[in-house]
Amino acid sequence: MLARRQLRPGFWLVFWREIDWLRRRPFLFAFVGVVPLALMALLTGIFSAGLATRLPIAVLDLDSSDLSRSIIRMVDATPDTAVAFRAGELAEGRGMILSGKVHGLLMLPLNLERDVFAGRRPEVVFFYNTQTLTTGNLTLRGVNAAVPTAAAGIRLSLRTAQGQPIEEARAAISPIPVQIHALFNPTLNYVHFLLAALLPSLLQIVIVAASAYAVGMDVETRYRLRILRRLGGGLWPAMAGKLLPYTVIFMLVLGVSDAVLFGILELPLQGRSWLLVIAGFLFILSCQLLGTLLALLLRSTTSAVSIATLLTSPAFGFMGIGFPRLGMNAFSLGFGALLPGTWYLTARIDQTVRGNPLDLSWRPILILLAFAVGLAGLVALRLEWMRANAARDAGGAPKAVLSEAGS
Amino acid sequence: MSELLAVFLGEFRRIFALRPVFSVLVVGSVFYAVFYPQPYLNEALRNVPIAIVDGDGTVTSRELARRVDATADVAVTMVLPDIVNAEREVLSRTIFGILVIPKNFERDLLHGRASPIALYADASYFLVYQSVSGGVVAVARTLAAEAETARLIGMGVDPVLAGTASDPLRLTAVPLFNPQGGYATYVLPGAFVLLLQQILLMGVGLLGTLPGADPGITATDGSRPGPLATVGGKMLAYLLFEAFILPLYLIALPYFYGLPRLGGVVPILILAVPFVLSVSGLGLVVAAIFRSPLRVQLVLATIGLPFFFLAGFAWPTEVIPDAIHVVSLMVPSTSAIGGFTRLAQLGATLADVRSELLMLWGLAIFYGGVACILQFRERRRYARNAQTVAA
Repeated sequence: MLARRQLRPGFWLVFWREIDWLRRRPFLFAFVGVVPLALMALLTGIFSAGLATRLPIAVLDLDSSDLSRSIIRMVDATPDTAVAFRAGELAEGRGMILSGKVHGLLMLPLNLERDVFAGRRPEVVFFYNTQTLTTGNLTLRGVNAAVPTAAAGIRLSLRTAQGQPIEEARAAISPIPVQIHALFNPTLNYVHFLLAALLPSLLQIVIVAASAYAVGMDVETRYRLRILRRLGGGLWPAMAGKLLPYTVIFMLVLGVSDAVLFGILELPLQGRSWLLVIAGFLFILSCQLLGTLLALLLRSTTSAVSIATLLTSPAFGFMGIGFPRLGMNAFSLGFGALLPGTWYLTARIDQTVRGNPLDLSWRPILILLAFAVGLAGLVALRLEWMRANAARDAGGAPKAVLSEAGS
Repeated sequence: MSELLAVFLGEFRRIFALRPVFSVLVVGSVFYAVFYPQPYLNEALRNVPIAIVDGDGTVTSRELARRVDATADVAVTMVLPDIVNAEREVLSRTIFGILVIPKNFERDLLHGRASPIALYADASYFLVYQSVSGGVVAVARTLAAEAETARLIGMGVDPVLAGTASDPLRLTAVPLFNPQGGYATYVLPGAFVLLLQQILLMGVGLLGTLPGADPGITATDGSRPGPLATVGGKMLAYLLFEAFILPLYLIALPYFYGLPRLGGVVPILILAVPFVLSVSGLGLVVAAIFRSPLRVQLVLATIGLPFFFLAGFAWPTEVIPDAIHVVSLMVPSTSAIGGFTRLAQLGATLADVRSELLMLWGLAIFYGGVACILQFRERRRYARNAQTVAA
């Protein structure tokens, strides 16, 4: 380290000082390097099942006929649902939903089989818990697939009983089949989609807060800012040297996690990985500059970190992963647009699942570039303003500077 | 007892006296109450734009397009000549689905042959896919039932029987508790519980790491209250504070945002007591581990998001690996989110959430106990240091 210390003031001096600083502050190093990866490992573990299958539902079979039993078998056989309990009466089934044991209750009425073949159109009722929206809808999907299949069998037999040829009957029972193609995500697997979006959301919090913290330590007082400037041989090299070590660490964190996601878990990577890297770099830089700007504007490290976490920790909802931006009100659209993460996630979805052609890939990346340039400009303006202030104060009231330096 | 009271009063005063704590617990609570729900307030996606590629151009195909446009889920905003053009529009996010009606759609339908249509729906966003496919499939199903009934009547079948034959077994799906399937109704009750926990953890963490973290020291002889009185007094102070904030989040805000609530207020408050105590205890432990206000803030800010996915709310508990689930029970929100949601939104009784209630009481006792032990050790270290200084 001695050789490095003898370097002339400049970018590298601040750069190595920062790395030295990180080595002496294990907490900060853990926060920027280990915490995001550990949380990512936890989330990967939570979602390791891949798809939510065989969700428990209860059945209330009041008919106990061949038909009702075959419907229950079909419902149990769909990948989405599993018949976990038999309820003796409606109240018992309701209790199971309320205590969280099952997500739904399928009720097969008395005389189901008899009424079907007498043409009385009996009603099979599925009560499902939509308070947990995704889970509830998945159980409905299972029942929705199984019961019409059973009904189609009956329709087919009603027609063939009337003497219609089976092929004709089969065409007749579904006159307008809808062939649904799920673009970009044929298996409808949202776990991977969610997982791939969660790390950037966590990183956004970590980067903005850590930058506010690290820069805040050096600019909290004018005295410390002046030291930083002297070490860097100017404000620009000093700031660059201050931020670059973290940029490298965050790129590594993103790289490791993406290597796991795309390399080991084999998430789709339909687009261009070099665009993904560019977008990731601009995203990290924008977040760092946002944190830096907060630290420069607020001066106190505690306030800067508070505001940084206040803005970024609830940001997940605004970035349109769970509930798409398409359906948001004007305020949320506006706030979401001001988050670098929103555009990084857009670019990420473009380059991972959608595989956009090159000419349709640039928009989010150019927006991220504009963020980086714009925030760098604001940081520059603020720094110049602070320097001008300091110079004026130093000329006008030397006492004040002395007292601050002493404090 | 007087020690406990002194700590209690001292700590309650510090909540309002220390600026960072006041900003987190009071200003933060109010800010998040307004800010956090914003993205979800529209509840559902309406009129997701899609394109139609009509290769048939007949009365029936236009009728299908018109009916699709009329649904609440989707809106037909473009009519495009071919699928290649339409796919580019999907990639540039101007539309989110393509409905292709092939040539001879009407003719096949009238001839009694299967007359398929194709839907290409953007599945890169879950809700978008659900809206587009749900809207189009429902319309196709109605149109198909009409066509089939008409055909059967044409064959000379009695109209009532024709209806039966096309739909012999009705499936009625009854969504419980969130009948519109609204996204705000789904996500906010759980999110409010998590916000309460994170804000209180942050507040307690700051109170325990900022200067003056040992209230209740008597001015006369400088003696410190015992560990039990310190921890108990502090936890009671947080409980008193939450007596104002928790009803705001779990009763007033849901009412204000129009979220249905079936359960009574009393069971919610009964579950709230062990919830607040366990979070307070955890906060005291967090403060003792991290020992600096900045570290407390940094760590707690990042960990909220994973906590949400552990609660079995966005992702069902049944498919979370057991090992992770068991460890996650150490976090109060894992039990509390399900417990409060079932009490308030589902109208469950306290008996239905017995396991959550017991779990939270267990955590309250456990973290309170750990906090006491940490206090005790800290006092012993302090006394030893004082001895060495005296010697």
